[in-house]
Amino acid sequence: MEIVENLTQWSDEFEGNWLKHYQETGETLWKIYNRARNETAPGLPGIDLSQSRLLLISTAGGYVAGEQQPFTAADLLGDYTVRTFPVDIPLAQLAYAHDHYDHTAVTNDPQVLLPLNHLQEMVVEGEFGSLYPEVISFHGYQPDVRRIVNELIPTVLGMVDKGKIDGALLVPA
Amino acid sequence: MQSVGLLARALEMAGVATTLTSWNPVIRLAKPPRATLTRLNRGATLGEPHNNIQQRRVLAATLALLAQDAPLDIVHLDETP
Repeated sequence: MEIVENLTQWSDEFEGNWLKHYQETGETLWKIYNRARNETAPGLPGIDLSQSRLLLISTAGGYVAGEQQPFTAADLLGDYTVRTFPVDIPLAQLAYAHDHYDHTAVTNDPQVLLPLNHLQEMVVEGEFGSLYPEVISFHGYQPDVRRIVNELIPTVLGMVDKGKIDGALLVPA
Repeated sequence: MQSVGLLARALEMAGVATTLTSWNPVIRLAKPPRATLTRLNRGATLGEPHNNIQQRRVLAATLALLAQDAPLDIVHLDETP
């Protein structure tokens, strides 16, 4: 099982089409962008939620305002770095660096993308066991699949103690 | 969007069960192990601002997939703005 089936073919098409056009014109032409496509999915057995510790992963571009470096949201080739912050951080301390979605909703109510309070309530109510203490946060505009596979994913896997996580909830923006 | 699906695959391959929710049907191309799909808006993936009932409903349905063996077909949720 691979993260991306046929990554070499994807890379060749990306370089010859979308990336070539971008380098020549500065334009991001999505009609010639080749999304990563897989035919099969990996699969683990289901878990007992009542006994499980869950990790929250967000692509909203969230970071701790005044403490962490914002993502480089204006980079049309994407930002593949990762931030972490405590799962019990007050939502008002977070800011969002991401130029590819309207921030009106998340500014009005951060839980539309970062449901920290909801998840903590669900733990109290017994819907699952506990939360992993850190949230993984990145900037979901990442057109280069090679960098997702070779930079983003190893960084995330290296940041968390997988032995202490039973499940992960991923919330894209 | 595709980064989420690919990261879910990588986590599952590393021994961590995963689930996700999206408003964007292209999520299916990456073949994540478990996912719900809504008709909510970009930038408000879990529901309308301050609609805690809707947000909790989307979360509960998405987390419930973790109790099932993967891979699963994408589960469509009747959630709209």
